[in-house]
Amino acid sequence: MSAPVSKLREPLIMGSKTYHQITEDLVGPTEKAPNSAWIIAFILAVTFLSFGLFCIAWTIYVGIGSWDLNRTIGWGWDITNFVWWVGIGHAGTLISAILLLFRQKWRTGVNRAAEAMTIFAVMCAGLFPLIHMGRLWLAIFIFPYPNTRGPLWVNFNSPLLWDVFAISTYFTVSVLFWYTGLVPDFATVRDRAKGIRKNIYNALSFGWTGKAKHWQRWESLSLLLAGIATPLVLSVHTIVSFDFATSIIPGWHTTIFPPYFVAGAIFSGFAMVLTLMLIARKILGLEDYITVNHIESMNKVILLTGNIVGVAYLTELFISWYSQYTYEQFAFFNRATGVYWWSYFGMMTCNVLSPQIFWVKKYRRSVFVTFIMSIFINIGMWFERFVIIATTLARDYLPSSWSYYKPTWVEIGIYLGTFGLFFTCFLLFTRVAPVVAVAEVKSILKTSGDQYIGPDAKHGHEKAGTAAH
Amino acid sequence: MHQFIFTGRQKSVLLGFMVLGLLCMGLTWAVDDPFHTRFWTNLLHNTVFFTGIAFIALFVYSAWMTAYAGWHTVVKRIFEGFSLYMVVGLVLMLIIAGGTWFHYHHLYHWAAEGIADPTSDHYDRILAGKSSFLNKSWYTFGSVGFLAVWTFFAFRIRSMSIAEDNAGTADYAHHQKLKRIVAIFLPIAAFTSAAAIWQWVMSIDAHWYSTMFAWYATASWFIAMMSLTILTVIFLKGKGYLEEVTGEHLHDLGKWLFAISIFWTYLWFSQFMLIWYANVGEETVYFQIRRDDYPVLFYGNLIINFVLPFLILMRNSTKRKYGTLVFMSVLLLFGHWVDFFLMIKPGALHTALEAMEHMGTAVGDAAAAHDHGHALAGDHGGHGAHHAIPPGFKMPGLLEIGTFLGFLASFLYFSLNQFTKASLISKNDPYLAESLHHHT
Amino acid sequence: MADKHSEVLFGLYDDEVDLLDAVKQANADHLEIMDVLTPFPVHGLDPLLGLEESRLHIAGFIYGALGTMTAFGFMTWVFTRDWPIIFGGKPYWSVPAFIPITFELTVLFCAIGITVTFYTICGLAPGKTPDILDDRITDDKFCLAFKTNGQSSEQISKLKNFFSRTGASEVHNKVI
Repeated sequence: MSAPVSKLREPLIMGSKTYHQITEDLVGPTEKAPNSAWIIAFILAVTFLSFGLFCIAWTIYVGIGSWDLNRTIGWGWDITNFVWWVGIGHAGTLISAILLLFRQKWRTGVNRAAEAMTIFAVMCAGLFPLIHMGRLWLAIFIFPYPNTRGPLWVNFNSPLLWDVFAISTYFTVSVLFWYTGLVPDFATVRDRAKGIRKNIYNALSFGWTGKAKHWQRWESLSLLLAGIATPLVLSVHTIVSFDFATSIIPGWHTTIFPPYFVAGAIFSGFAMVLTLMLIARKILGLEDYITVNHIESMNKVILLTGNIVGVAYLTELFISWYSQYTYEQFAFFNRATGVYWWSYFGMMTCNVLSPQIFWVKKYRRSVFVTFIMSIFINIGMWFERFVIIATTLARDYLPSSWSYYKPTWVEIGIYLGTFGLFFTCFLLFTRVAPVVAVAEVKSILKTSGDQYIGPDAKHGHEKAGTAAH
Repeated sequence: MHQFIFTGRQKSVLLGFMVLGLLCMGLTWAVDDPFHTRFWTNLLHNTVFFTGIAFIALFVYSAWMTAYAGWHTVVKRIFEGFSLYMVVGLVLMLIIAGGTWFHYHHLYHWAAEGIADPTSDHYDRILAGKSSFLNKSWYTFGSVGFLAVWTFFAFRIRSMSIAEDNAGTADYAHHQKLKRIVAIFLPIAAFTSAAAIWQWVMSIDAHWYSTMFAWYATASWFIAMMSLTILTVIFLKGKGYLEEVTGEHLHDLGKWLFAISIFWTYLWFSQFMLIWYANVGEETVYFQIRRDDYPVLFYGNLIINFVLPFLILMRNSTKRKYGTLVFMSVLLLFGHWVDFFLMIKPGALHTALEAMEHMGTAVGDAAAAHDHGHALAGDHGGHGAHHAIPPGFKMPGLLEIGTFLGFLASFLYFSLNQFTKASLISKNDPYLAESLHHHT
Repeated sequence: MADKHSEVLFGLYDDEVDLLDAVKQANADHLEIMDVLTPFPVHGLDPLLGLEESRLHIAGFIYGALGTMTAFGFMTWVFTRDWPIIFGGKPYWSVPAFIPITFELTVLFCAIGITVTFYTICGLAPGKTPDILDDRITDDKFCLAFKTNGQSSEQISKLKNFFSRTGASEVHNKVI
């Protein structure tokens, strides 16, 4: 199983774990009563969720007039939040799928939680396009079915409809991928559980026993799902970017949008994974599994994607000048110096300038700096979407239609409500399922455990290398 | 065998092809229009293509090292060898940049005299606006300056990699230093390569712009580079070198070839679809000319560079068969050369025809140029109008193929010559053991 | 194996390396292995057990192709036959605009298809109660099982001998 491992690779599992110890550490949290930190967090999350639900009900009751949208600014916080959440929902599949294909072993520490995060973030994202229709009960109109409007179909040429397909496909595939990974771990929980819990986990684990043939097919399925999820994750944010880029609005119609949105999504997704995992590893005591090496690897991805996004910002800025197209030039001039200059400033500072701190190894490995930076990037990426949407719409072709948009309490409330939804789901998840993939961590123990590799290895590199030969 | 020996036979074969390339270029010059547009576009096309391959080899080398890839260690010397070809690219770009000063060619509309001068006949409002970027000084500085920086990194990285072979220590001090250098190279390369592509390729269609363009062209280089890497590995294995490179490594190289072909298609589609969808005349003209006047290349580009690799490389077994891999690599190397052909030729032709037309009307006695330009330009005012496209532009002719082979031979000659200077396997790389036992 | 009662003799190993060695030994001794159960996928086991490579990817390709044809065919039918409408001056049959949905449905069909196929061929489903040989197999034990229906005590003791030779930490009997 284990091939030679370079001495430069840092261990990913600390504390000389045995297989049994891994099970204890990772399954343990689901078997104990929640601690007070969890309970407080849960109450808080549910409170936010309830307020969000109230604001959604208010929107539906009063109408979209309860938002500060107007004739030119048809999209405000709603679509900003939609794009922001979808972007966050990209890291899970990225970590699981792309890093699986790239054989980055550090993914095993964070993939499970990141996938869960993906699913919850996509749920939050999906809410916004539905609510912003105003008449929520007519949402069925987006599905292509022979309907009462005559044999008239939805517009398959519309990027907004592509979005419906993209988001729902992404959600479905993410759930399948996540659950397939969970099945063996649920079997582990089942085999330790008693009474009613045993029955529940028996149902959840689908009768998994760990047969060699099943494992072989399971690995094949995981690779296949990873293989198709990789272009899928690219396509989702690409299609979100098409919502803007297929238009002829200056500042939206730019061909770099697809890859630049994808890079931004990965960027914000990793930031959110870090925010969550830094808290989770502390509360659930997972420091041996989500190590400083994991954090450093993720910070490198953040540095990389931050720079890609930076290249894209500058490309846009430069090409808008280069185009010699007055409206295009104005759109970007206005972004940087117009009424919403502060959001452009926030975007540039948080997304491009501040991640440069990660060139320094010391900061990449600092939990505190990483946490602060992850919050910064979450904010910066929100600003990016706000810049694209509000700034552009507030300064249309017609100066007579120019206006200034600021959210009402209802819009803010719905946004806060999605945080409630996200954290409620995530907190429940930490109670019912192992937050770190148990079987996958076990499978890399011999090549990444600190008793086998790294400076304190007891068994030595040669032994680890030849163990299975 | 780790020490490559460049045999006399190999040298003479490659030299033979290089002579063929030179002959073809000479012949092109002789049969060309008065501006020698065919000659200059061929020179620019091949220079950009092969310099780009050298550049992207260094870029990928740096990226993989930064990402702790490890498995590629047994083929990393090939990337190093490729990357040094940038020296040749530097010289060639110097010639092309010089050409803008001394009016050797009319590749670039913006380089015309008086383009930014409102009193001039050549005045073009749009290009005047762009002239603080699209001008001879910037072009020269950008081409030569950027290439010089990249070349510096290439030589620095190469020499440190060799130093590791000779004096590698147990604490891998060389590797740690290398990692720092490649990390510095990555952002520099990312920013400068975009600007270089804008100048070299995008500014041929001087009015047109696309923010995606630089990444698209880079993806094209990447695939060409991977194809050439696979071909070189298989060639060296055939000669008994690189025994350490197994089917596993080729499988992974094949996976990359597959993955980036899909990625290239993604970029192609995104760029095309957005321009097609928004239907803004200034933007669609780029694709309209290519679709209407160059249909074979336009659709062929997609078939060779997307459909075939997608269908053939999807299966795992085909990524392990030498025959299929060689076939796909040759096809993709040529396919992306054609991709650059399609990026460069139509715009340059248009510029040259207009210049000839202009010269013909401005200078009465240049009757030949006038007739030539007029006949060829036809109804050049209306985009998409059908006019005769001279040989060497509509399709790569025999002279273009000959020039390509000559350049390819020079690239290989240069790289193989580099392989003789160090072991083909970097023996003190910390990831060598991993790479030797690589299993996909 | 749930249909009929199976008498199973199984050994538990503490490490996958011991298990792999035991499987090699079993092959050398021409013992017929009933099954191998592990807490995580052990690489190098498949060839020893003579397991053929999974053909799930072929199924995936077929499902995907089905999705491609469904989506593209359906949109083509709607916009060229059933109710042609011009949107934004584009032709009825706007191929570039059909590609995103075609791609999404390709992926969707493929993903659902292979997942359902996987659970079906593995006989896994919610509510299915498996025959568990030992609760610790999903924790840290590596299990090698032989079927002993109708085997003589001589053969059984030969198997037990095999387990002790190959370093199994525990040997158990179970009827499932």
